[in-house]
Amino acid sequence: MNGPSRADVPSSGPVRSFDFPPVHARSLDNGLRIRSVQLVRLPVVTVLVVLDAGEGLLGEERAGVAALTGDCLEGGTTNRSGVELAEALETIGAGLAVGTGWDSTTVSLSCMADRLDEAMGLLAEVLLQPTFPEDEVERIRGQRLAAIRQREMDPASIATIAARRLMYVDGVSYGRPSSGTAESVGTFSPAAARQFVEERYRPKGSGVVVVGDVDSGQVRSLVETHFGQWSGAAECQPQMWAEPRNRERGIVVVPRADAVQSEIRIGHIGQPRSTPDYFPLRVVNTVLGGAFTSRLNLNLREEHGFTYGVRSRFELRKGPGPWCVSTAVGTDVTAQAVKEAVSEITTLVADGPTEEEVGAARDYLAGVFPLQLETTGQIASRVAELLIYDLPDDYYANYRDRMRGVTLEETVEVARRCIRPDEMTVVVGGDAEEVQGPLEALGWGPVTVEADS
Amino acid sequence: MLSIPIERFKLDNGLRVNLTPDATTPVVSVNLWYGVGSRNERSGKTGFAHLFEHMMFQGSEHVPKNRHFELIERAGGTLNATTWFDRTNYFETVPSHHLELALWLESDRMGWMLPAMTQEKLDNQRGVVMNERRQRYDNQPYGDWDERIQAMVYPESHPYHHTVIGSMDDIEAATLEDVAEFFRTYYVPNNAVLTVCGDFDRSDALDFIERHFGGIAPGGEIPAIPGEASLDPVIGSTVRERVEAEVPLPRVLIASRVPPYTNAGFYAADIAGSVLGTGRASRLYRSLVRERRVAKDVMSFVFPLTSGAGMLLVWATGFPDGDPDVLEAALVAEIEGLASVTEQEIQRAVALNETSLVRQMERVGERADLVSMFDQLFDDPDRLNGELDRLRAVTPSDVSAFVERFLGADNRAILTYVPINGKTSTGGVL
Repeated sequence: MNGPSRADVPSSGPVRSFDFPPVHARSLDNGLRIRSVQLVRLPVVTVLVVLDAGEGLLGEERAGVAALTGDCLEGGTTNRSGVELAEALETIGAGLAVGTGWDSTTVSLSCMADRLDEAMGLLAEVLLQPTFPEDEVERIRGQRLAAIRQREMDPASIATIAARRLMYVDGVSYGRPSSGTAESVGTFSPAAARQFVEERYRPKGSGVVVVGDVDSGQVRSLVETHFGQWSGAAECQPQMWAEPRNRERGIVVVPRADAVQSEIRIGHIGQPRSTPDYFPLRVVNTVLGGAFTSRLNLNLREEHGFTYGVRSRFELRKGPGPWCVSTAVGTDVTAQAVKEAVSEITTLVADGPTEEEVGAARDYLAGVFPLQLETTGQIASRVAELLIYDLPDDYYANYRDRMRGVTLEETVEVARRCIRPDEMTVVVGGDAEEVQGPLEALGWGPVTVEADS
Repeated sequence: MLSIPIERFKLDNGLRVNLTPDATTPVVSVNLWYGVGSRNERSGKTGFAHLFEHMMFQGSEHVPKNRHFELIERAGGTLNATTWFDRTNYFETVPSHHLELALWLESDRMGWMLPAMTQEKLDNQRGVVMNERRQRYDNQPYGDWDERIQAMVYPESHPYHHTVIGSMDDIEAATLEDVAEFFRTYYVPNNAVLTVCGDFDRSDALDFIERHFGGIAPGGEIPAIPGEASLDPVIGSTVRERVEAEVPLPRVLIASRVPPYTNAGFYAADIAGSVLGTGRASRLYRSLVRERRVAKDVMSFVFPLTSGAGMLLVWATGFPDGDPDVLEAALVAEIEGLASVTEQEIQRAVALNETSLVRQMERVGERADLVSMFDQLFDDPDRLNGELDRLRAVTPSDVSAFVERFLGADNRAILTYVPINGKTSTGGVL
């Protein structure tokens, strides 16, 4: 073969430019913000309504109300029963997706472009005229309670829920499951749903994002037609707060008799989405556990074969969400896996990442950015984030440059400040009899075994 | 209606190549389908096709261990692979200017994998795969459902009798010699389809492909699938299994043999499955969840398999104190009720399929995968463009005929999970 040898890594070709597609921004008189992006590739459109209606600031007694209200939207409208609503949507190929998180509720659908008028009309009907019939609310409450029962027997959920509970002091919503507890769900009623809609489903504070094969003029007139009569404002929310339950290291075992694997969670309270350290923090997390070639995965999976995978994640919310390393490992290697993970975390914080690692993580994060912006749904979600977190309109235009601008020094400093090994809680969901002794033998921190729930 | 442009070539070594351009975003996807999956495994070697897929990431002659991941991630790309009954696929999506890198990496492991294999790497990946099995199957409520259902629907001699993940013992017993033999037999250009989709320069792509894959020697003829792929179109009776296990809620699964994907009769099965269980207006959701309230969730799925028979699977999960027999009777009533469907129900099923397929087309990775699939399974990548029309052509009487022939009591595997040692109920439900 002529030319370069097979052993040489091919050089890359000329870079093709990528710009975040232009976002047209305007508002209706009622305060509803409109954001539209025209993409003419395929005859498909995504419409996403983002509401300032998250779970984060709801008190304990209303836990799960945002999620349940979202679920109950399928119960029907003043014009249609729940069955008729589902038929109207699906006959035009549109499925309604309701997402309720800590910071917002999003209600979206995708449809073929020639059905947009009809689809947006139905979406507006769902949001402006929901009826929450008693029997539908009762049904959905029953389904949610059954889902909670499933959650209570799911090994991964058990560990994650315990880790959250142990991170936050009582009274902080982030310490509980976002879909509520058996107690709070049990008392949910149509009145509770109506009250939540009255408070939070309002044009001022909300936004409509439309992405796909439609121009901004059409979008504006369609939104005006379907959402123009909506009125009111969602009251501004106070700042989200969070306090750690403790600042000492410790290992907590949540017993699951005879489990063949241990679900491990390691972490502490992390950062809010508004952190000025966003870019270096993403780089640090990628080096630790955000990609396949991260330190944790190369150690626990590729060197030791302890696990199918391990990852580290900062959940960036309006308030400081959790930072958590998650993995599942064989019962017999649980303590060794905890030891290796803690050691990787501690070393990264003590010595910082290397120049090479920072370069690779920066290139990865800047490079995958356009890969996550192929579909109308992906772009709509990204634009919605701007609205939820009050990010500037040109945020994505500068995103890749800012990522590429992260320096080694910044990452060393951010790793030290945002990851504190001495404050980590390790949660192990697994066979307590098998893992307790070896975990104690690590001598890393006190081991507590929770009572069997 | 769909008009995805697809250009097809064949290299001298038998490698089938498809190019399908889309310049919307400066990214490109490289997708390879090898015509080997769990159906090619012999007894005592279950799970090997999947373990082998893991070994494909352990390096090749010119690519040290972990280097494949490092290079793709550094380029800002994503990568993965999956193993299924009829095939194993490998894929990278990268920024367009790294197309050659992705092709070079794929070609190196197609042509030069074996020199890099060591016992240590095999031991490591056996550990990873055994933990994958524990995490996804053994440590999961209902995690053994597919093992049980496949064994009920397909006879022991049939290649779909065993699961893709395979048995712990077989994974444990895999040797380096198995790796070498499997590679030489199945990982050959004449058993693969390569698709490039996205924003790329045509002549560059052709040049890269010829340069990196052209020199790989073809392999021999691909051996016949072991066992007996042909089987009766129906199971022959209702077979049952009742499992008392540590599951949170009762669940009933019902599976039936249906025509294989390669048979024209498959499309009526697909539509029947959608009418039954896709969406909130589907019959199962409407009846079992919304109206009768015997199920917490329902689902249906039609497996597009090609050897002998596919499978229609439905399931319903009950409430804590629910009676599984009531759940089963409700599922059976809806299955049998499918003998009569309306034109409007079919239109709804087609409309949902249309939106879903077009949304898949938005991602170059998924589009490439579909093109590879139609080439591998049908020897016709352009078949993608007619897929919706085949669904649209299904009539109510096609569905009735399908239900009459395939969804009777002589073609049912019914698997019931009943909770034991249940914790006390978290709340009175209904």
